[in-house]
Amino acid sequence: MNREISPAKQFWQLVATIAIIVYTVIPLLWIVNMSLKPTADRADGKFWAHHPTLENYELIFAGGAKDLFLPALLNSVLVTMIATLIAVILATFCAYAIARLDFPGKRLILGTALTVSFFPVISLVTPLFDLWRRIHLFDTIPGLILPYLVLTLPLSIWTLSAFFQQIPWEMEQAAQVDGATSWEAFRKVIVPLAAPGVFTTAIIAFFTAWNDFVFAISLTSDNARTVPAALAFFTGASQFESPTGAICAAGVVVTIPVVVLVLIFQRRIVSGLTSGAVKG
Amino acid sequence: MSTTSTEPTQAQLSDRARDERRLGWKLAGPAFVIMVLVTFYPILQAVWTSLFNYRLTNPGGREFVFLRNYQIILTDPLWWQAFGATTLITVVTVVVELVLGFFIALAMEKVIRGRGPLRTIVLIPYSIITVVSAFSWFYAFATDTGFIDPLLNKLTFGMFPADFDWFGGFWSAMVPICVSEIWKTTPFMSLLLLAGLTQIDGAMEEAAIVDGATWGERLRRVILPNMKSQIMVALLFRTLDAFRIFDNIFIMTGGSNGTSSLSLVAYNQTISRTEVGLGSAVSVLLFCCVVIIAVVFVKGFRVDLARGRK
Amino acid sequence: MKFKFARRSLVGGAALALLAPILVGCGTNTSDTTLTWFINPDGGGSSPTGGGQAQLAAECSAASGGKYTIKIEQLPNEASDQRQQLIRRLAANDSGVDIMSLDPVVVPEFGEAGYLVPVPEKYASNFTEDRVQGSLDASKWKGDLLAAPFWANTQLLWYRKSVAEQAGLDMTQPVTFEQVMKAAQSTNKTIAVQAKRYEGYTVFVNALVAGAGGAIVENEGAAAEDTQLGLDTEAGKQAAETIQKLATSGAVGPAMSSMNETAALNMFSDDSTSGFMLNWPYVYAAMGSTEVPFLNDVAWTTYPRVDADKESAPPFGGIELGVNKASTKQDKAWDAIACITTAEHQKAYMLGTGNPASRKAVFDDPEIQEAFPMADAIRDSLNMAVQRPRTAYYGDLSTAIQRTWSPPDQVNPETTPAESTELIMKVLRGEALL
Repeated sequence: MNREISPAKQFWQLVATIAIIVYTVIPLLWIVNMSLKPTADRADGKFWAHHPTLENYELIFAGGAKDLFLPALLNSVLVTMIATLIAVILATFCAYAIARLDFPGKRLILGTALTVSFFPVISLVTPLFDLWRRIHLFDTIPGLILPYLVLTLPLSIWTLSAFFQQIPWEMEQAAQVDGATSWEAFRKVIVPLAAPGVFTTAIIAFFTAWNDFVFAISLTSDNARTVPAALAFFTGASQFESPTGAICAAGVVVTIPVVVLVLIFQRRIVSGLTSGAVKG
Repeated sequence: MSTTSTEPTQAQLSDRARDERRLGWKLAGPAFVIMVLVTFYPILQAVWTSLFNYRLTNPGGREFVFLRNYQIILTDPLWWQAFGATTLITVVTVVVELVLGFFIALAMEKVIRGRGPLRTIVLIPYSIITVVSAFSWFYAFATDTGFIDPLLNKLTFGMFPADFDWFGGFWSAMVPICVSEIWKTTPFMSLLLLAGLTQIDGAMEEAAIVDGATWGERLRRVILPNMKSQIMVALLFRTLDAFRIFDNIFIMTGGSNGTSSLSLVAYNQTISRTEVGLGSAVSVLLFCCVVIIAVVFVKGFRVDLARGRK
Repeated sequence: MKFKFARRSLVGGAALALLAPILVGCGTNTSDTTLTWFINPDGGGSSPTGGGQAQLAAECSAASGGKYTIKIEQLPNEASDQRQQLIRRLAANDSGVDIMSLDPVVVPEFGEAGYLVPVPEKYASNFTEDRVQGSLDASKWKGDLLAAPFWANTQLLWYRKSVAEQAGLDMTQPVTFEQVMKAAQSTNKTIAVQAKRYEGYTVFVNALVAGAGGAIVENEGAAAEDTQLGLDTEAGKQAAETIQKLATSGAVGPAMSSMNETAALNMFSDDSTSGFMLNWPYVYAAMGSTEVPFLNDVAWTTYPRVDADKESAPPFGGIELGVNKASTKQDKAWDAIACITTAEHQKAYMLGTGNPASRKAVFDDPEIQEAFPMADAIRDSLNMAVQRPRTAYYGDLSTAIQRTWSPPDQVNPETTPAESTELIMKVLRGEALL
């Protein structure tokens, strides 16, 4: 790619870049502007907020919608973090075994992970709801974490298996030659090498769990309700007010940290996403 | 794959092999067990429940009806309507995403200046919660809060009605639903395609240029054939994903005007109506659809998902 | 460096994992004196001084002298979502629900499923005295008093005096839908109704069928498969005709199929187009608080007639208070309900939220008369109001009606009532999807 670029080509590349950027950020900018519009301006049909105000943010952090939003935010963070953590730990062991060890059933495990990732989650909702209500897991945090593992485990296993295949295994062999067991070699040599991959996997798994809506609306009612589900049932500050402003503000609040994560770890996420799906 | 490159002696092998086997399952077991328990158990349970006429609020009325729920569903116009809508959304979004994703991937590969920001910014839609994307597009298309109607009205010099009700009819409601779905998932598609693009041997393209091939010819003869497998994998992933569409429809129309997807139908039976028997049968049928799609892709188009993994 | 970060986050996550069971424990283990009241959103929101249910909860907690403390949980905005939330908890035998604000239509369903405790003998007379008839009917199922009437609701026809005058419509006489439609058309103004595919649309359809002299369900309390429907009748046809005419009149705004109560109020609040609106009395207080400039031009009358010769049948709504069968604090819950539903509290609630009391005496209160110039109209309307079909399968029935009668501009008097009847019967027999 180190050929000379003609000015015409440069121009078209610039156009393409700008078009893509506009395409990408418009809905994001729009919801930010919506969240800044005062109630009176909401139906003005304009894209930009001409009289920006923070009243919608006040509403979700200190006002009438705070009892709906803040617990949901806490639930979202808790459930997503714990589900991600468990998935990544289990997937790390699993992917190591798959990439590195010779044992029967390897294809079975990968095949299962693949099948599970293709599962229509709604198919799980009916039986899980019926089971959860009987064993009192309905509307609890563990009752969400378990199904979230279904979303995050297969993805983590595939992504990590791909990462682990790129690790220079000679070093492990060297350790084993030095008398270390498989386990010691794993812990002392491979873990440090694998950490970046594990971290990337964690981010991707986090996004997936953070995004879930189906499980959240079906298996919770308010104690364990996460943000996406809470948004769908948001009420305004009172019965008379439509929840539009609060929804937009809450939407922005849960989006910004994730966008920041993306901006920081862009390169890793790209390689993680593509290696799990394609190189696998 | 082979695990060791040096050839161990026979005795070492059997010892090490047994050791490895045990460790292998010890490490992989927990993840495997959880996946099986939390997915296969419920699906079996759903198959069993689907054989009953069972309403949660009337547990006494539970009655074994064998396959009648399936007969009811498969002869119900609502099922076929939802099936049609789901298929339409799947085909439209996947095709548009493939084309759009391909051009974005091309841009990401070719653009020199601003490549970093481009690759970063393309990830934004991927990272946004689908529900938030749905709300953003919903408010953008809504007659009261939206900017799209006034914008189209201005662009068409008043030909387009300034208060067009996008969510008032099936075809018009499909527009915002598909737009939101496409916007949110195209980046994923383009990243998968980019991975395929970068694997193409640059020398082949250079040779084609030297031979005087036009861009279209290069695309057809060199680029596409060489990334066929990546395209197929991306198509499979997105098709299965799009077929499960739920969030966007739930937020935007709630399934009105025939916009229900199969997932929404399943949700309505179980959660809204508490008709667990009927809902389970819908879930099982939806599961079968997904299996069929996957089998068609894997067998029919020979998508090799486990390449290099044996 | 990145690895260090990863390890630290792992440690942090592990700590969270350990903490989780404790957090979950806190969520469900409330003390013996805390009552959880699931409220529908009202004008007071969740503020203990907002004049709504949250304030009544705070006042009754204080008045109980430590016997109980009421904690409120807000349900979603739409009635069908409220029902879903509650039913999932009730089906799960969740003892974390003590008191519930129930829409009248869910009383039969929850009662039939055994989720509601009948009102104990000692409260029965307190809960039934001096109540409007609609509230009493709504609180009973198959002869048992299953809930306490809290507040009662009905829709009025709201209009702009100037518009009626301009159209030459005499509002002192009962008006018909036909007349209102013509008046709006001739003045180029709008009629705001609820015709989105949601519960409010069933309310509308039911009022039209009843106003034409019919009833959607003719044998209330029958088993699902024996239900007799009264839709495919003259009355059903007349109701369909009214909707068809409205939808094609050009006077219902650009998006009739997405109109709910709030959208209707917004449309009526738009000075340039507002003419008529069918809505609940809360809109008066709401227009006051949003400072609608033409408030003194707003007037009200009884719900329009479908048939010029038949009394109109205004919708009935409101809230009854029920106690969860799985609650472990039922005695305290009934005590709290007795406090919430006193005449004094119903009056305060009406003043605070605009939601009318179920106790008749409240309407005669001078303060109420002053704050609600339409108090007498509300009471009259409550006396004429008609319940929605009372059946344990109301949710399914309502969804089936919404589906077959949507979108409103596709309603056909020749086919819609029959199609609707066919679908409802199939659904009731568990033979159709919804």
